[in-house]
Amino acid sequence: MAEDIQAKLERYRTAPFDARFPNSNQTKNCWQNYLDYHRCQKTLTDKGVDIAPCDWYKRVYKSLCPISWVTKWDDQREEGIFPGKI
Amino acid sequence: MFATLSRQLKNHPALIPLLFFISGGTAMSLMYLARLALRSPEVSWDRNNNPEPWNKMAPTDQYKFYSASIDYSKLKKNGPDY
Repeated sequence: MAEDIQAKLERYRTAPFDARFPNSNQTKNCWQNYLDYHRCQKTLTDKGVDIAPCDWYKRVYKSLCPISWVTKWDDQREEGIFPGKI
Repeated sequence: MFATLSRQLKNHPALIPLLFFISGGTAMSLMYLARLALRSPEVSWDRNNNPEPWNKMAPTDQYKFYSASIDYSKLKKNGPDY
């Protein structure tokens, strides 16, 4: 499973099609992957496991999200006012 | 109301197709709105128990009516589980 993800990360070009977000409005896709990355990090660090698999979500949200959103959310997380549930 | 309606239709039977088409159109619009309200993966009626309804879709679920180029049966989940 982990080798699977490594192989996928090496072949990564861009965010693949996601059936949950089939339309041209991909804002939820960006949001969901941002949340997934941070939730994955939190869960795997709590379990004490290597967090390398979470990088998939990071690559996807970096492909999809506008940089201004990412910096805004990072600042919000730092201040503790991030609106999503991580 | 239905007594008035049937009396008017009996007096002017040409209005019957009109009734058909108008009620058919209204029914179709209401059904589409109901599909959006109840089946759309973006709609959450209960924020505490169902906060992210789009995550309940399998990777092969097709919500759109027609898909020109994507073969949904071949899709798999993208990210790793955690």
